[in-house]
Amino acid sequence: MTGEPISEAEALERLRQSDDPSMQYYGAWWLGRNRSQHPDAVPLLIEALRQRRPRDVGAGVEENAVARNAARALGKLAPAARAAIPELLTALEDPDDGLREAAARALGELKAREAVAPICQRLAGGPAVAGVQQASNPRLVEPCEALLEALGEIGMADLAELAVIEPFLGHARPLIRSAAARALLQLSGERRWAEPLLELLRHEQLHVRRAALMDLGAAGWRPAADAISATLAENSLKLIALRGLVEHGRGEPGDEALLITMDALL
Amino acid sequence: MGPITPLIQAVEQAGSALELLRATAALAASGDAAAAPTLVEVLGFNNPGAAVAAVDGLIAIGTPAVDHLLQLDPRNYGARAWAVRALAGIGDVRGLELLIEALLTDVGPSVRRAAAKGLGSLQLQGLASDQRAAVEQRCLEALLQGCSDGEWVVRYAVAVGLEGLAQGSRWPPDHHDHRRATAALTQLGHADHEEASVVRLRAALALQRLTT
Repeated sequence: MTGEPISEAEALERLRQSDDPSMQYYGAWWLGRNRSQHPDAVPLLIEALRQRRPRDVGAGVEENAVARNAARALGKLAPAARAAIPELLTALEDPDDGLREAAARALGELKAREAVAPICQRLAGGPAVAGVQQASNPRLVEPCEALLEALGEIGMADLAELAVIEPFLGHARPLIRSAAARALLQLSGERRWAEPLLELLRHEQLHVRRAALMDLGAAGWRPAADAISATLAENSLKLIALRGLVEHGRGEPGDEALLITMDALL
Repeated sequence: MGPITPLIQAVEQAGSALELLRATAALAASGDAAAAPTLVEVLGFNNPGAAVAAVDGLIAIGTPAVDHLLQLDPRNYGARAWAVRALAGIGDVRGLELLIEALLTDVGPSVRRAAAKGLGSLQLQGLASDQRAAVEQRCLEALLQGCSDGEWVVRYAVAVGLEGLAQGSRWPPDHHDHRRATAALTQLGHADHEEASVVRLRAALALQRLTT
């Protein structure tokens, strides 16, 4: 895979050919990264998403590498990529949990209401079923973090959905708890769901504190501004989180107070 | 043996990342200018927690730390990046060249971000007026270039820098450079030119503060 700067036409061409999957992989990534508006981008990515193939251990390529990257790119092309929703819903049922993860994230970014029911179904077993670790590797049976985050992003709350999410607040892994709290906070706007996230900002592990920062930012929970600012983590991440409060949040603290908090972290 | 010698020794003898962080924080808290060489050394240890503490200590020491910061080996990229943050915080005009270079060429967005803010907050009160005008001109040119940085957080810091520069300068409102600064902020505040709404809001706040 080459990291050379390429043009949009070249990226489309790399995705269109099918002799070299690593070229397709890079082409798909490029189109998402650069948020291509080209009319061929979405149809080509849908075609690439259909391209499933097993992991090639010898070549060091992950399972369904092109399909996964196509799903990720389609998420970045929201809202133009809404035409891909049926194909992403199919990918959500794929045996490859890595592809299901990429599809779930994309469906979240596309705010695909059609995805709420199938995602809830995947999570319905709760932490002891969907959230249990696979026998052969450290991943969970379902890509819970991505599924939970997608529900929050799609943002269509009903009581049954909240009841599916809530048990994951008790998951053994802090990142799953963080994703669950974020989704509940996004869907309900209720302060009680912010509490687990504020607690995770003080977690002993840096990667957990980082995740909680990103989740509070995604939820736009403005009352967390001071706690975000005081978290032991890189200012870069605190600034991203505070940007989330400014752009997605409402109420107090107001815009100017948040901007002043950001200024102090530059 | 001065009173900070044991604190310096504790940094030099730290056996773990956590010990180094604690010893650096203690040395930084002394605020003693004699701590500067050791704190600058910590910037190159590849320990972000300790480097943050060292930067805070160097900013507290201020002007006496500047020479030590400027003497850092340019090939030691990690240490230079932290030095840019310290120089941006201190605001000493001797950091001007390094801040400009950092804003325009550094690969790290967090370094460019700190440099942009620093270019708006240099302490120029002691300079002769023609010298001061020349420095302000250099800061303005660099910040205007920074408006087209690819990272939102750098453009955000450029808006903050432009506000600080225009605020601190003696430009009257109809001065050519004041107009160039406000024109740049107007662009950063406009959705046709700036995609990140947080940057637009910050630019609008800067303009409001400069015009009222």
